Amino acid sequence: MSLPLLQRTADPSFCRYTPADAESLELRIPLRAPVEGEQYRFHFDMTKCIGCKCCEVACNEQNNNPAEIRWRRVGELEGGTYPFAERFHLSMGCNHCLEPACLIGCPVDAYTKMPDTGIVLHSAETCIGCQYCTWNCPYGVPQFNEERGVVGKCDMCHGRLSEGREPACVNACPQGAITVELVQIDAWKATNAAAANAPGLPPAFETMSTTRITLPENIDDSLRKADYHRVRPEHPHWPLVFLLVLTQMSVGAFAVLLGMGAAAPKLAFLFATAAGHAALGFSLLHLGRPAHAIRALKMWKRSWLSREVLFFSLFAGLTAAAAPAAFFGIGPVKPLLAATVLAGLAGVVSSARIYMVPARPAWNSPRTLVEFVLTGALLGSLLAGGPAGFTLAAAFAQAALTGWKIYAMRTSAEFEMKQSARLMTRTLRNHLAWRMALLALCLVPGLPVAVALAAALGSEILGRYLFFVSVVPRNMAATFFSGAEAA
Amino acid sequence: MKKNWKRLLGLDILSDKYAYSNDAEHGWTSAEKIPEKWVKTTCGYCSVGCGMKVGVRGNRAVAVRGDEDHPVNRGKLCPKGLSEHHTLQARSRALRPLLKHKSEFQPVSWDMALDTMVERFLAVQAKYGKQALGVLSTGQLVTEEFYALGKLIQLGFGTSNYDGNTTLCMASAVAGYKRSFGSDGPPGAYDDLAESDLVILIGANIADNHPILCQRLAENRQGTVVVVDPRVTKTAMLADIHLPVKPRSDIALLNGIGHVLIAEGLVDAAYIERHTTGFEQLRTHLGAYTPSHVAGITGLAEEQVQDIARRFGQARAPFVAWTMGVNHSTQGAETVNAICNLSLLTGKLGFAGAAPFSITGQCNAMGSREASCTSSLPGYRKFESAEDRADIANLWNVDPSVIPTKRGHAYPDLVEGMVKKEIRALWIIATNPLVSFPNYDVLTQALGNLEFLVVQDGFHPTPTTLHADLVLPAAIWGEKEGTYTNSERRVSKVNAAVPPPGEALPDFEIFLRTAGKLGVRDKLFPGWTGPRDAFEEWRQVSKGRLCDYSGLSYELLETAGPVQWPHPEGMESTCTRRLYGDGVFEHADEKAKLFCIDWQPAPEQPSRQYPFVLNTGRTVEHWHTRTKTGEVEMLQRMSPRAWLEMNPLDAERLGLEMHDKVTLVSRRGQVDGVELRVTSIIAPGHVFLPFHYFEYNSNRLTLSAYDPISREPNYKQCAVRVERSH
Repeated sequence: MSLPLLQRTADPSFCRYTPADAESLELRIPLRAPVEGEQYRFHFDMTKCIGCKCCEVACNEQNNNPAEIRWRRVGELEGGTYPFAERFHLSMGCNHCLEPACLIGCPVDAYTKMPDTGIVLHSAETCIGCQYCTWNCPYGVPQFNEERGVVGKCDMCHGRLSEGREPACVNACPQGAITVELVQIDAWKATNAAAANAPGLPPAFETMSTTRITLPENIDDSLRKADYHRVRPEHPHWPLVFLLVLTQMSVGAFAVLLGMGAAAPKLAFLFATAAGHAALGFSLLHLGRPAHAIRALKMWKRSWLSREVLFFSLFAGLTAAAAPAAFFGIGPVKPLLAATVLAGLAGVVSSARIYMVPARPAWNSPRTLVEFVLTGALLGSLLAGGPAGFTLAAAFAQAALTGWKIYAMRTSAEFEMKQSARLMTRTLRNHLAWRMALLALCLVPGLPVAVALAAALGSEILGRYLFFVSVVPRNMAATFFSGAEAA
Repeated sequence: MKKNWKRLLGLDILSDKYAYSNDAEHGWTSAEKIPEKWVKTTCGYCSVGCGMKVGVRGNRAVAVRGDEDHPVNRGKLCPKGLSEHHTLQARSRALRPLLKHKSEFQPVSWDMALDTMVERFLAVQAKYGKQALGVLSTGQLVTEEFYALGKLIQLGFGTSNYDGNTTLCMASAVAGYKRSFGSDGPPGAYDDLAESDLVILIGANIADNHPILCQRLAENRQGTVVVVDPRVTKTAMLADIHLPVKPRSDIALLNGIGHVLIAEGLVDAAYIERHTTGFEQLRTHLGAYTPSHVAGITGLAEEQVQDIARRFGQARAPFVAWTMGVNHSTQGAETVNAICNLSLLTGKLGFAGAAPFSITGQCNAMGSREASCTSSLPGYRKFESAEDRADIANLWNVDPSVIPTKRGHAYPDLVEGMVKKEIRALWIIATNPLVSFPNYDVLTQALGNLEFLVVQDGFHPTPTTLHADLVLPAAIWGEKEGTYTNSERRVSKVNAAVPPPGEALPDFEIFLRTAGKLGVRDKLFPGWTGPRDAFEEWRQVSKGRLCDYSGLSYELLETAGPVQWPHPEGMESTCTRRLYGDGVFEHADEKAKLFCIDWQPAPEQPSRQYPFVLNTGRTVEHWHTRTKTGEVEMLQRMSPRAWLEMNPLDAERLGLEMHDKVTLVSRRGQVDGVELRVTSIIAPGHVFLPFHYFEYNSNRLTLSAYDPISREPNYKQCAVRVERSH
């Protein structure tokens, strides 16, 4: 050996022990709070992200969320041809939109757009677990926590930001791909939030997402979501299936009974009332926090869900007066019935409007309202012993509407619509077949009313089940496996 | 019940569980994740060697944070590290010693367990000879444990049939370094990733496998990053230049680069003359590797070969790093030599940015390489060298004749020894060969031949512990003390944050107790009570060696942070260093050797019946055989099962679609029900299957082909066919 090992290897000119860079914090979060006309936003740099999912894990650790909930998610986009294949990752928390769809729909005012920071904050204490926000957000940001019975979402770790620390995801990202910035609200609006757009995402202007996304240059046209081919049925929301079918049946029956005047069978009033009240019972089962259901009335000026609750409560109250009045033939029967039907119809319209949201394209159509009304007409007519011709027409119309819906979705340019059609005609084709068969059964002449009613009820319940499970929500790209069940 | 009603009504929303509070060090976070104390330690997954802090409340680890003062990771961790504390509370932790009685496991006391183990091992050795006992360890223990285990096996049980699962992982790098430079020991440092002007990653998908190294690459603003990989990995997508070579054609590419370097005068003749041997033979040998010849083998264009060669020749500080794409090959060691050739031809190694650098696999594979008695004697001493044997015998105060003159069976030869019934008893420590060893059927046959199998592991059941006659429950990362050494030779302190669960014991304690039962504890480990005693002896044993730890102490590592070896006594600087900066190598003549390496095709070529080349590898969410990460629900949900990557052209030809369930069949076996991922990141004719999943065990397909030099398995290429699952 020519030199002792020590000298051979310890040339100090190569010494570069670098402890954590104290200055880099300012590269990750703004060093001052937003001023008037500004708010915080996330910036995501797709060119830096390596898809390691540190942000997801750090977020769950920060918020003690169970593994099935991800307030921050990483999705994949893939395209190109070997060896020029491209795979990009998109990491997303909440976009803290300027026009947050979650907030606008919330019936209990659980959401706050914080005036100083622009963070869209959700209050678990206020939330009743109706999950309406989870349908309204086009990015799938708010998620229902089964264990708690309430929704939760990314709050940009505002508790950390306010003490000058970066959010957990920003802190964990080894590539520095996620940062927090300040955004000039008016300027951002003026661009229609264009810099928040990315492949696979819904148009940013719809809710004025504030997340700035840096995209790679020359993205291949063939880029697709990694979950493009994985279509899964959504949650069926059984209590809502019954809520909708039974309220519509009840409203329909009262409308038919009103139309029949003196010929109306007395017992039908009681049945229709019972259906309406049972429906409201079912609605409680849907809520994560049924004890606080009454809060749902709060935002009637803004939220269709509040309006639905309001009108159906009114409807239920009126049926409790109108039905005995009609049954015993005392009091102002006709005005009472008319008021009942009006409240009920307003309820049905409100129901439909709840589902007509851009984030769920298969629902976002007047067809939803027509479908609900036809359910009411068909079941109401059968329950109230309405004219056979009317019943037949309603059944025909409902069948035609189903066909039209599938046709319209299949021929739509929208990915989510096509996928909904695919679900209906492939994965759920047996349900669809039964739905149509039962509908056809009520058309058989001479069938006992009870059998026809049972068939129609079965068909409509299946129909509403299909309505819920076949919707393909708008969302960011997922990974190849997300949504797949754990092994 | 009352609570349930309140929850159902929505009066209880688990507000306590979801409350937030302020941690003094880390700020606002979930109140349940705020510990009473933070314990500094080092990550127990891979060899990047990230510093971390484990948050402890009572006897429970509630959080993990990256150590911002640690020079390796600077506060960052990968998703496995970020959730590592969950592995401590896994449901599948081994809790008490279990002895199999009529095919049922019965809990037994530690005394009974170790008495039985020693009794059975000695009986086997008495009947069939000392070498009939085999030991299969790991890269997961602390260096102190490797050192103690080596002594226990070599001097206590008197068998040299001892190897680690590092042979499935790093053996080719070890053997390659030994051949080229005269010793194991990666010469470079992570800083080189940032400081090099030409980073070439060969068969190394660091974005998935060593993600924390990517931040170093991101710091490199001027340099060019080249990735050589048949698959368009995440890392390939990060690269400035991706060279999509055909599988196992890297030797041809490396030789082609050498050819151009010589032909265009881009070599450093003075360096070659002064510091290497074998140049003339190499020059002649490389004559055949013209760019056009190389293009034919690699599938690259001639211009690409020339371009990369010129870049290499013109680079100030080229850095070539590799992992399993190189090592998992029947020519692994030789490929390492072909890489080292390039650094030596240009004289570009040993200074900032320039090195041929093996990125290691497991957290302490390096400690195993340095301190155990597997492929070398401790301190990179050679079994074959009388001087080295005398040296270690002297340090151990034993007769040199007890030190064998060659290493015992390497891992695959141990398995073959079991098949041949030469090995009759086996002690497996912290590894899971039922998932990780190639050619599953051969392994199960081998294990079936054993008279006694002991599996010592932190987890039970695993596919391997189920085969055991005796299961010894061990402490894991987070529950024991010692040191890990990472890929860049940096020694980091490992500390216990919580006690092991149930009756589990640190491996170190198991080794000491076993020595006690064997009656050699006082002789081998006089007065030892903990890992510090082993470290103190190891310092002396490593003194004067390349991997010199003699200037290190637990106190220094705790105060100054992790330090690279060599760190001889008296050294004060703890800054980043490289080896061989002076051109003095570890061969007897102090010169490095240039090797003439011939490209050979992979051992099993696709055929009509088995038309695809199967490539295997990892995903960022999982670690090895998933005994740990499979228990972390977050990670398991992200990557719940295996998938098969197939090019769209092949899928179309076979009438297969995305998400179809497919069966892979090789000459050895088959794997059913794998979800198909049709993707352009893989070339037509190739398929890729991750190897983490016992349920979709890639090693039912892989073949028994090993590097004749390093004994590392050829995991990366075998021939399969793919059909729709029924």
